[in-house]
Amino acid sequence: MSQFVYLSFDGLSRGAVYAAFALALVLIWRAARIVNFAQGAMAVAAVYAAYSVTAATGSYWLGFVVAIVAGLVLGVTVERVVMRFVDHSSPLNGVVVALGLVLVIQGVLGIVYGNEFRPVPTPFSRDAFEVGGVALLSRYDVFVFAAVGAVVLALTLLFTRTNVGLRMRAAAFAPDVSRLLGVPVGGMLTLGWALAAAAGSLAGILVIPTELGLHPTAMDGVFVAAFTAAVVGGLDSPIGAVAGGLVVGLLLSYVSGYLGATVAPMAVLLLLVVVLLGRPGGLFSTTTARTA
Amino acid sequence: MATDDVATDHVATDHVATDHVATDHRPDELGLHHISVRFGGLTALDDVSLRVAPGRIVGVIGPNGAGKTTLFNIVSGFVTPSEGSLTLGGRPWRPRPHHLNRLGIARTLQGVGQFNGMTVLENVMVGVRGRHAESEAWTALERCGVTRFAGDRPGALPYAVRKRVELARALAARPRILMLDEPAGGLDADEIRWLAGLIKDVGITVLLVEHHMDLVMSVCDEILVLDFGKPIALGTPAEISADPRVTEAYLGTAA
Repeated sequence: MSQFVYLSFDGLSRGAVYAAFALALVLIWRAARIVNFAQGAMAVAAVYAAYSVTAATGSYWLGFVVAIVAGLVLGVTVERVVMRFVDHSSPLNGVVVALGLVLVIQGVLGIVYGNEFRPVPTPFSRDAFEVGGVALLSRYDVFVFAAVGAVVLALTLLFTRTNVGLRMRAAAFAPDVSRLLGVPVGGMLTLGWALAAAAGSLAGILVIPTELGLHPTAMDGVFVAAFTAAVVGGLDSPIGAVAGGLVVGLLLSYVSGYLGATVAPMAVLLLLVVVLLGRPGGLFSTTTARTA
Repeated sequence: MATDDVATDHVATDHVATDHVATDHRPDELGLHHISVRFGGLTALDDVSLRVAPGRIVGVIGPNGAGKTTLFNIVSGFVTPSEGSLTLGGRPWRPRPHHLNRLGIARTLQGVGQFNGMTVLENVMVGVRGRHAESEAWTALERCGVTRFAGDRPGALPYAVRKRVELARALAARPRILMLDEPAGGLDADEIRWLAGLIKDVGITVLLVEHHMDLVMSVCDEILVLDFGKPIALGTPAEISADPRVTEAYLGTAA
């Protein structure tokens, strides 16, 4: 029982990170109908920027802020310089360009920083405190929950309580109609990419210290889990992304704990296949899935 | 009235704005000057000129394929004319879709065009700027009699209600010029009577594309008739009703 409780809390903590990353994927999907396969590489680039600042100043928090800002800048740059010029007549065009970006970003990071794994510090202890002899959460887990919760709350308020959020949603639903209503659709798209990249960077700086360390491909595995989370929740649903992230986090934790860590990636892929076959629109999607 | 008269700018201007000379160059004055549009070998509009004077209700009618929606798309900035120019408030103007709202121009769409993932209230709020967006949206919904649907998703509503929501969305930003693209399509007689009352009472410049002749004849001050992209008549509803070329365009034979 104690193992189950521990695995549950561990899964929720990891799932919170997947939720943030899945949210980043959903934001871009809703705005541009592109699955941003470069999200992981962009997040790693932002964490490298944070790593450099932390190494130079000794301040984790300054690095943390730099990661978020670097995410925003990367998001704006990728949208304005690359994605805006992609021919969107076929959805594959955006996918191919995103995959190309992965190669470019990972290649540049490898050239600049090398290909060794670099340890990244955490601001709080990762030792779980115990309640009744059962290991529950570490202070770092609490920080992860708080950070992701704050982002989810901020995005929820943005989209439901502000004119900018309303216009971002409108631009995503129907760009031409939105233009007629005075919505600067291009600007909203750029803002969407910036926010998504910042959320992805947050996920990166939260999860990389808990993995093998910083490496140009450090987010590849996280991307697969987060993509599965986004599909499970429905690519159109921010709430679904959060729920999907937690589901995938729990699944990975239980499978790793009871069956072994080597089985975990297969469990994620199995979940992806089952959802795509059974409910391709996702568990929280309100849109009708495309049929052949 | 000869076809040539309609196709020349000054004649069209004289005809539409004889009692509005003193209001020249108000911001809600719209002018189309010798507009032609060609899509490859197809001429969608051929030398169309029109002045929509401030506060007037001007209808654009014609058989299917006459170029009515193309004309709207030019004023909306979705289509760039091959020849000719536009003026707004008497000044040369190159329309851009995302500038219309700021310039006080609102347009409804034939296909309703609402955001089904948002509530009716949110749909109406999108086009309103500033801190009072919600109260302006409520005012527009009330004016169109659809406040009780404010929390619903448009996709789940009857077509007539969605049409009213579309009108509310256009009116919420308090435009100076209202462009209505077939607003009566799919509506029953009662709804069309309500629509006619709204258009008459709205008190701003209205450009109306519509197939429903009773509505056009009852609300418009002036009517431009297009046929295969050419302007064939421009005049008051009474003049248009009596014009044999209009009958010929619609029925295919001279009256």
